[in-house]
Amino acid sequence: MKSKVCYVCGKENLSKNEIGLVKKLLDKNAKHFYCLHCLADYLEVDTEFLLEKVEEFKTQGCTLF
Amino acid sequence: MIYADNAATTKISDSVLDKMLPFLQEQFGNASSQYSLGTKARRAIEQARQQVAMAIGAEHSEIVFTSGGSESNNWVLSSVNKGHVITSSIEHHSVLNSCHLLESKGVEVTYLPVDSKGRVSLNNIKEALRSDTILVSIMLANNEIGTIQPIAEIGEYLRGRSILFHTDAVQAVGHIPVNVKELGVDFLTASSHKFNGAKGTGILYKRKGVSLPPLIFGGEQELGVRAGTENVAGIVAAGYAIAESVTIMASIADKLSAFVQITINGIKTKIPNIIINGDDNNRLPGMINIVFNGVTGESLMHLLDLHGICVSTSSACTSGKDKPSHVLMAIGLSEQQAKSAIRISYGRYNNLDEVETIVATICKAYNKILAVKS
Repeated sequence: MKSKVCYVCGKENLSKNEIGLVKKLLDKNAKHFYCLHCLADYLEVDTEFLLEKVEEFKTQGCTLF
Repeated sequence: MIYADNAATTKISDSVLDKMLPFLQEQFGNASSQYSLGTKARRAIEQARQQVAMAIGAEHSEIVFTSGGSESNNWVLSSVNKGHVITSSIEHHSVLNSCHLLESKGVEVTYLPVDSKGRVSLNNIKEALRSDTILVSIMLANNEIGTIQPIAEIGEYLRGRSILFHTDAVQAVGHIPVNVKELGVDFLTASSHKFNGAKGTGILYKRKGVSLPPLIFGGEQELGVRAGTENVAGIVAAGYAIAESVTIMASIADKLSAFVQITINGIKTKIPNIIINGDDNNRLPGMINIVFNGVTGESLMHLLDLHGICVSTSSACTSGKDKPSHVLMAIGLSEQQAKSAIRISYGRYNNLDEVETIVATICKAYNKILAVKS
């Protein structure tokens, strides 16, 4: 699979969790991806909160993470 | 936090909590015990039974407390062991899955369709009736779209036909006027935590003279039909919660209906192509189910959650495979539309500021989701 790049800062090789967050929170077929920091800015939340959500989604069995 | 998922559960009322707490502490007695501690618990249960009976137009002896709405629904459905059952395609899974179990035992079940507003037709019931129909089970108000069914009309038709009639009124009791005599039902299910009582206490109305074999065997609790040491605190809470809900029902319903209208109008000004599901003229106050074309309800729900707003979607993805709501599919939505819906259910503790925050946050979240798709 082609590696994803942050749409805002250009960070390369976004992690599975970063890609999963965009798919889960925004859209499974998103054309733009964000690194954790830029996603937090975009959604107006802090990064720690997003990381907590990643753990919640994993616990729920979501296969995007 | 802004809680707008009151169809899922409600916050217990402060006054109800005050009434139930002593029965978890100093008044902790078993209601079957013969000494004072036990007899006080027994009196409290019987008072709660009376409060529930009064609230729904029943007699004291017609009310049985259970562990919740699912148990009450399971109990009624599981009593059928032959013949034919009629239900609707938009019932709660505690009814639908009970029907599937009945089918595996040889009982035939007709699942009636609903129209685009989620209404069951009396004519469809008439056509589905057979000489061996034992039970008709139709919910009073739907838990996803809030549509209120013509239960009184169905009850009147079934009266005198030797067919048992059950309604799952879990979403309705405490929110709209419910009178079992006017509805003409033999059984009615309710659940305390849906009307600001405590979780873990259900109600089954069983019309006098109708027999229902026990679901749980053991002692002689609950008028001899439902064994197990009573959840005294939960039952006390149910009694006070239903009495309180009935007292304030009319004013709360007016407030919540206004909130729904403000929500619809507010969102429509920014997102004109939303679809409102259900029956505009016959819907539970406070409940609204909206399709947001072009985004998934799950994404919208998560973005609202990030900002402390609790609403629900009926197709939450937990395993990577999300299934659309059977209710939304039954009213004719496409799978994509069904997956694009969220349910907002306001309750007595919501206020106008919260409603306005919800509208603004939804509109902002919707645009953020659309932006990553282009």
